[in-house]
Amino acid sequence: MKLACVVHRFGANIAGGSEGHCRLIAEHLAARHDVTIVTTCAHDHITWKNHYPPGASDVGPLRVLRFPVARERNLHRFMDISDSVFGDRATPEEQEQWFRENGPEAPELLEYLRQHGREYDRVLFWSYRYYDAYFGVPLVADRAVLVPTAEEDPLIHVDALGPLFAQPAGFLYLTPEEAELVGARAPAGKPSAVIGCGLDPAPASLDLSGLDALGLVDPFVLYLGRVDPNKGCEALIRHFVQYAESGRRVQLVMAGPANMPIPEHPLVRPLGFVDEGTRDALLARAHILMMPSPFESLSMVLLEGWNRGLPALVNARCRVLRGQVLRADGGLYYRNGMEFGAALDYLLDHPTESRVLGAQGRAYVDREYRWPTVLARIEKLLAETA
Amino acid sequence: MTESPLRVDALMREIEGDVLERLRRHVIKRGGASEYQNEAIFEHVRDVLARAADERNLDALLLPELLDGDAEWELQTRLDLSTHRPGLIGGTILWAKRRILLPLTRWLFEYSQDNFRRQHHLNRVLLACIEELAIENARLRRDVSELSKKS
Repeated sequence: MKLACVVHRFGANIAGGSEGHCRLIAEHLAARHDVTIVTTCAHDHITWKNHYPPGASDVGPLRVLRFPVARERNLHRFMDISDSVFGDRATPEEQEQWFRENGPEAPELLEYLRQHGREYDRVLFWSYRYYDAYFGVPLVADRAVLVPTAEEDPLIHVDALGPLFAQPAGFLYLTPEEAELVGARAPAGKPSAVIGCGLDPAPASLDLSGLDALGLVDPFVLYLGRVDPNKGCEALIRHFVQYAESGRRVQLVMAGPANMPIPEHPLVRPLGFVDEGTRDALLARAHILMMPSPFESLSMVLLEGWNRGLPALVNARCRVLRGQVLRADGGLYYRNGMEFGAALDYLLDHPTESRVLGAQGRAYVDREYRWPTVLARIEKLLAETA
Repeated sequence: MTESPLRVDALMREIEGDVLERLRRHVIKRGGASEYQNEAIFEHVRDVLARAADERNLDALLLPELLDGDAEWELQTRLDLSTHRPGLIGGTILWAKRRILLPLTRWLFEYSQDNFRRQHHLNRVLLACIEELAIENARLRRDVSELSKKS
């Protein structure tokens, strides 16, 4: 098949969840299909400033077509219209305008889809919340497959999504919770599949010597990802510091670029951005993986942790995380500081049970998230949307 | 090594039960409601409040709809800069507010906005709690009415 994968930004060093998901899926589909990435020149997800040159290029097995962003995001205007739209006070026109303000506004990308979209057998769109998907899906609706990457945030309740979700020929979801969330707003009977994302088995041996210089204390629990209030990191630090005050000697290691101040505390160790090797070594040596995010459509980090047999402690207020942990029997969850402390105590005080939970997580990844399984689900959906 | 698989739901029931009991004792120790001496009452109260806080869709509540016509109850977190002066003078004043005053006071604006957002969320949770209690009350009224019809 000739496939187009439309995504708001694309690049090897772009860390975003949906962008990374698109790249992985596209690279694996390219083994059997002719795959083109249709994207913008943006690199920065806040401003959408043009960074990459427009035009065609080859990235590994993929052909990449980039289109310029017509204007950078005006954050004040975006915040204002978000308040109005999420406060349920917006007209349909304002709701549509929200998707323009969110961007990245790339009219030439839409023009390309209008003129050439039908040359592709299927056009896959990542993330319904961005300009390219919201305005692009209707242009190629009969062959569009939407990967919504929807979270349980206020946007999902906006009326403008009803008409959007009625358009695509099919849906690829990341979790059953996301399928339920979007399915409630989409017409019944559309082909769909829950795919998650594929992982290769973790290598058996790893060089852990790089960790020696990082000042880590055993045992440590690991947060991996952007350190950001929207990812639940403020609450994680608050719960952890309260827990540490009880006298328990365990370190919280936070590996990822920080978008918020991290308080100085002898048992909180911020590492900033870490390379792939350090990331793997941290996953191999940590005792527990922490996932405090209140909004997720799929936690790839959770799957990576389980891939290494690491038990997880997740925020139960996120239905996706709680669902993943319950399906995998791969960790515990918490709703507040007291449950956080009790669950952390259990995992640290019961090393055998912790190992079993981690092993059950790995078995879940083996069952559900190996590439052959994930690709078979995608191929079936692509065939069903013919 | 544990032989049989570990079920997370069973483990969590155990942990949540322990936490709930510790919380009950903590609240009683600090002089909380004497009704909480009764474990079943405490658990029921906690269930009702947790349902409101965790399970209710805060965007689909009845009370805000009823309030909507009568009063501006929602916190206005958005900053609308305006002036009553027309024409060039008005435009200049707006420009000065946006470009000079706002940057100078941005830290105060952002600090307040964050707190307004928290307060707004808390207001919505409290509205959900009231609604949950009203639902509970309506259910009890219906059950009492049906029982009195039968007797």
